[in-house]
Amino acid sequence: MKRSGIGSTPLSGVGTARWYRPGDLTLPEQPDPSAVDSDAEQARFEDAQATARQQIEQARQQAAERVGEDEAAVFEAHLQFLDDPQLVDDIEGAIGEGTPAEHAVDDRFGEAIAQFEGMDGRMAERAGDLRDIRNRLLRTLLDVETVDLSALPAGTILLAERLTPSDTATLDPESVAGIATVTGGRTSHAAIIARSLAIPAVVGVGEELTEIEAGADVLVDGESGSVVVDPDEDERAAAGGVDAPVVEETVSTDDGKQIEVAANIGGRAELDPAVARGADGIGLFRSEFLFLDRERPPDEAEQYDAITTVLEAFPDDRIVVRTLDIGGDKDVSYLDLPEETNPFLGQRGIRLSLEAHSDLFETQLRALLRAAASEHGDDLAVMFPMATQIEEVEAAIERVESVAAELDGEGVDYAMPELGVMIETPAAAFLADSLAARLDFLSIGTNDLTQYVIAVDRENDAVADYHDPLYPAVLRAIDRTVSAADGNDAWVGMCGEMAGDPDLTELLVGLGLDELSMSAVTVPAVKQQVQQAATDAANDLAADALACETRAEVLDVLDES
Amino acid sequence: MMERIVEVVPDAGLHARPASQLVQAANRFDSEITVGRAGGGDAVGANSMLAVTGLSIEHGESVRITADGDDAEAALDELEALLTTPVEDEEEDSE
Repeated sequence: MKRSGIGSTPLSGVGTARWYRPGDLTLPEQPDPSAVDSDAEQARFEDAQATARQQIEQARQQAAERVGEDEAAVFEAHLQFLDDPQLVDDIEGAIGEGTPAEHAVDDRFGEAIAQFEGMDGRMAERAGDLRDIRNRLLRTLLDVETVDLSALPAGTILLAERLTPSDTATLDPESVAGIATVTGGRTSHAAIIARSLAIPAVVGVGEELTEIEAGADVLVDGESGSVVVDPDEDERAAAGGVDAPVVEETVSTDDGKQIEVAANIGGRAELDPAVARGADGIGLFRSEFLFLDRERPPDEAEQYDAITTVLEAFPDDRIVVRTLDIGGDKDVSYLDLPEETNPFLGQRGIRLSLEAHSDLFETQLRALLRAAASEHGDDLAVMFPMATQIEEVEAAIERVESVAAELDGEGVDYAMPELGVMIETPAAAFLADSLAARLDFLSIGTNDLTQYVIAVDRENDAVADYHDPLYPAVLRAIDRTVSAADGNDAWVGMCGEMAGDPDLTELLVGLGLDELSMSAVTVPAVKQQVQQAATDAANDLAADALACETRAEVLDVLDES
Repeated sequence: MMERIVEVVPDAGLHARPASQLVQAANRFDSEITVGRAGGGDAVGANSMLAVTGLSIEHGESVRITADGDDAEAALDELEALLTTPVEDEEEDSE
């Protein structure tokens, strides 16, 4: 039985289906109080409390080991909510009057959650804590299997309605053989992280995915975008995967134009796959992932360690660190970011760094400038996200200079990294000339550039067809950016998903990109394509594509090549 | 019953860790302990995390803590110390 979705990580894997259903806690109908054995219900409640206490203590221990005592403190509060006399007294009272344990828990916690949700930002977070505890209790009471995403058994095919970026980031690539989700698109952040972790993934399968039962043998083919239950030998053999041989050295076209093929990473877990697949350094280090899923921002020392770890993994290659890019769909709870009707057009990227969170920006710049002076820091580059004005870039450069002066005054070792900017808005593409004149490099983020040029929400399945960088408007924005960089002695790279599509490598070489950065999984296939490309033919291909007026024509040009 | 008025010093106010520490401390004493805004409003049981965080008290506000029982004085001493000590590391955040 075969189901189709969108291939997201172009690898395939076979394993045992496990459902991740964090929200499936529907209560049975509430019986008449006279039919309820209050003593038995009281015992069930105490039993659920004991189980939850054990789970929370375990989670606290894990958090303390993995991320530190500070982050573990949140579970302290969870334990207190679990034993809260107000909650416990009311729940036990209701049970005594003939309410089944699960209804008593759901009612009382529901009331508390509603009360906190009505309050401002920080209090709303407590609602999240309470929901977490309620769900732990209900899972025991309703006998719903709990799935710890960080400790899945080897050979798991993980099935879910959807996965959040933080869900995905906790997965262990060693044990997860594949992922398939009901919703989601190729460029959602969860899909991108799965790709960086080299976990085969198919997203957006639709409701029919839910027909697959836990325990079934499942094949996830991220190349063709299919999910097969009980795959036979033929289906297993036909399963796709970009399995080009790993090339360690930097590659050139057959007439000698060198192209750097680098990897995009968010954190430490993605570093090993990048090294193993022969990436020429890191073209995009999404530093915001250091800031997610915790109680407070990382300090300068922690950021310095994270950056130097990446520099050490690639001692001779360039590492491009993007400064904090939060906002949009990446929320950071402790920053109390305001809720916005249109977060992708709101306070995100450099806007936050220059204004509301300039303190975080300065700490990050201190760590970066110090890391640039470390043993392998020569090849460190720093880029700013979401720039739309020259004023912003000038202000960012000023901050870098003032941080340098501050470090100088303190007698701390530092060095100036290369500075660049992401080209991900029409404004930046139009201003590419002026930006390149002030900076060392430009890096094109095609996911956001496409989103903003075409005016299409990249997370919205209904308009997924519009989100394609092969529309002439996007290609011309890329071309404009490359010409601007060339005319100003800046180098130009691409770090969006487009860069990792081996079918587009020749086109990108022809468009004049110096560097392509992608999820580690496609690095070998793209290197192979670079080696097979001839610069003249690639240039012709790019010229033909740029002359097209419709996407259909672009696709024809690519097909003929 | 004894009472004391104290200004809340930790940056986080009576949220997150400071709230958690207060509840933990309050539970160690036999006395019945309440906390509320010094300026008025309802006082709540300091042994309830739900009630304490529900007060939504911020850094710099004054609170009235009361204790009723044999160890009331010791309890007030400890809670006052807790509420008037900046949480360590907290200043680093604002660098």
